[in-house]
Amino acid sequence: MMMDSQIKHIHQQLVDKKISCTALIQQKLNALKENTNNTVNSLLDDLALHLAAKVDAKITNGDTIGLLEGIPFGIKDVYMLQGTYATASSNLLKNYKSPYTATAIQKLLNAGAIPIVKENCDSFGHGSSSENTIFGAVKNASNPDLVGGGSSGGSAVNVAKDYTIFSIGGDTGGSVRQPAGYNHVYGLKPTYGRISRYGLMAYASSTDCVGPIAKSVEDIRIVLNVMSGKDVKDQTSITSSEISEEAIKTLSEFKTLKGLGKIGYFKNFIENDAIDSKIKADFLTAIEKIKAKGIQVKALDFFKSDILVSTYYTLAMAETASNLSRLDGSNYGNRIEDKNLKESYAITRSENFSEETKRRIVGGNQVLSQGFSDEIYLKGLALRDAISENFENDFKEVDIILSPVTPNTPPKIGDSLKDPHAMYLSDAYTVGFSLGQLPTLTIPQGTDTGLQITAAKNNDELVLKFANFLKDTI
Amino acid sequence: MSKIMTVDVLSSIKGAQPSEAVNKLFDVIKNAQPTNNNSFNNNRNNYVSLNDLRDDVVIESSAIEKQIIIENFPKEKGGYLVVSKVIEE
Repeated sequence: MMMDSQIKHIHQQLVDKKISCTALIQQKLNALKENTNNTVNSLLDDLALHLAAKVDAKITNGDTIGLLEGIPFGIKDVYMLQGTYATASSNLLKNYKSPYTATAIQKLLNAGAIPIVKENCDSFGHGSSSENTIFGAVKNASNPDLVGGGSSGGSAVNVAKDYTIFSIGGDTGGSVRQPAGYNHVYGLKPTYGRISRYGLMAYASSTDCVGPIAKSVEDIRIVLNVMSGKDVKDQTSITSSEISEEAIKTLSEFKTLKGLGKIGYFKNFIENDAIDSKIKADFLTAIEKIKAKGIQVKALDFFKSDILVSTYYTLAMAETASNLSRLDGSNYGNRIEDKNLKESYAITRSENFSEETKRRIVGGNQVLSQGFSDEIYLKGLALRDAISENFENDFKEVDIILSPVTPNTPPKIGDSLKDPHAMYLSDAYTVGFSLGQLPTLTIPQGTDTGLQITAAKNNDELVLKFANFLKDTI
Repeated sequence: MSKIMTVDVLSSIKGAQPSEAVNKLFDVIKNAQPTNNNSFNNNRNNYVSLNDLRDDVVIESSAIEKQIIIENFPKEKGGYLVVSKVIEE
């Protein structure tokens, strides 16, 4: 499962003319077309082949090409890419075309990467299984009877199946990290604001993050560097510095570096009845292997999982109720006419939103309405602050927090739709880090659904460095 | 003018009702004891400072962007984009 950079490998093949870019892209498009995992919302054949021909012309000319030039990638269908469909896997936007391009995607295009597919996901990011979609449930890469995870399920499965070299997912409460864990690949939720959200359809703006999914730490690093940076079009975006390959290569000297020596994990994530016994045992084994390297490991206290999940969903639902209020069929979307404007809004939204999306919009309006906001929404905000404060204190004592990604292995297709409350609870280990806006990476090691590596805000570099260290440790 | 608005009206979703799955989440919050209640006094969550706001600038959309915006509009008649009938209440 451990692989080196696929981007570098393919780059070399292109440079050495072992494969043409057109042949590479055509091969990936064919594989996507034939795939039975329901990962595709739309294929970008014309655009991709047009861009591939340009790369081939450059190579034939003897021009040098950049590292990402000609590398095929996938895009979760919640990003804008001018002239292509952006459906959010929803009925409402099934014919909506992106008028402009998201900043993160534009940066990849500028670097020469080739978008080949808009990927299936939970509608508007509302789900943890990629079953809440009009394109059919995404099937897990290892076992098609199981869910692909969500909400960026199509993206994770495409990477796992080698249909794309990397994919760009979106992570609001775990939507990159959980499907990465379910399909045994790497998935990063960077520090909030490190990558511009401009052109990513808003779910919960205060935790929405653009996140790469790939098969190696090195590929995550390459793609993260390209997409990062302050953007005038997203005022919450932040300045960050490039992470060099050298900087994350420390490996075995990890423990000797000043200030990098302590690992923590949350006791209550492991010591409870909800966690699968094998995931628990495997996690504790990983901790023992790290201790055996002479690294100090500290068990930390943290908020109960149900508080984390409830705080996250309270805030996320409030934000999504507000963000999705624009989707009324006036200027775009599948408008259904009724006797007047208000009725047209209501019928358009009733008929075109999925049950899960409606549940979240209604939940959001419940907590924002007079009489309830103090008791629930404002209390949720206060809890979020307490959670952030807890993290700040933890990172005075440890440098890295290690967690399982999920309490259980992927459910069977159909189970999550029957029990939404159980689905919400399955996000127990991912949502806390979203609320804290912390950089967190899923690695396909340690447990059946991987491990999460978290560092303090803006310390994305340390996360990648520790992932490289674990590659040789567990 | 005070009128109680139900969630179906607030959400513009016909027949919408609060769900049990979501109410269970909210019950946890109601019963939780946050260590402080002054969330607006803290600044842990990247609020953008007024001093950091960008200047207001008007950026002209490209021709292709304008064309796609028109294409996305749900209804057109005789060269005009048609909105739903507005009524005053």
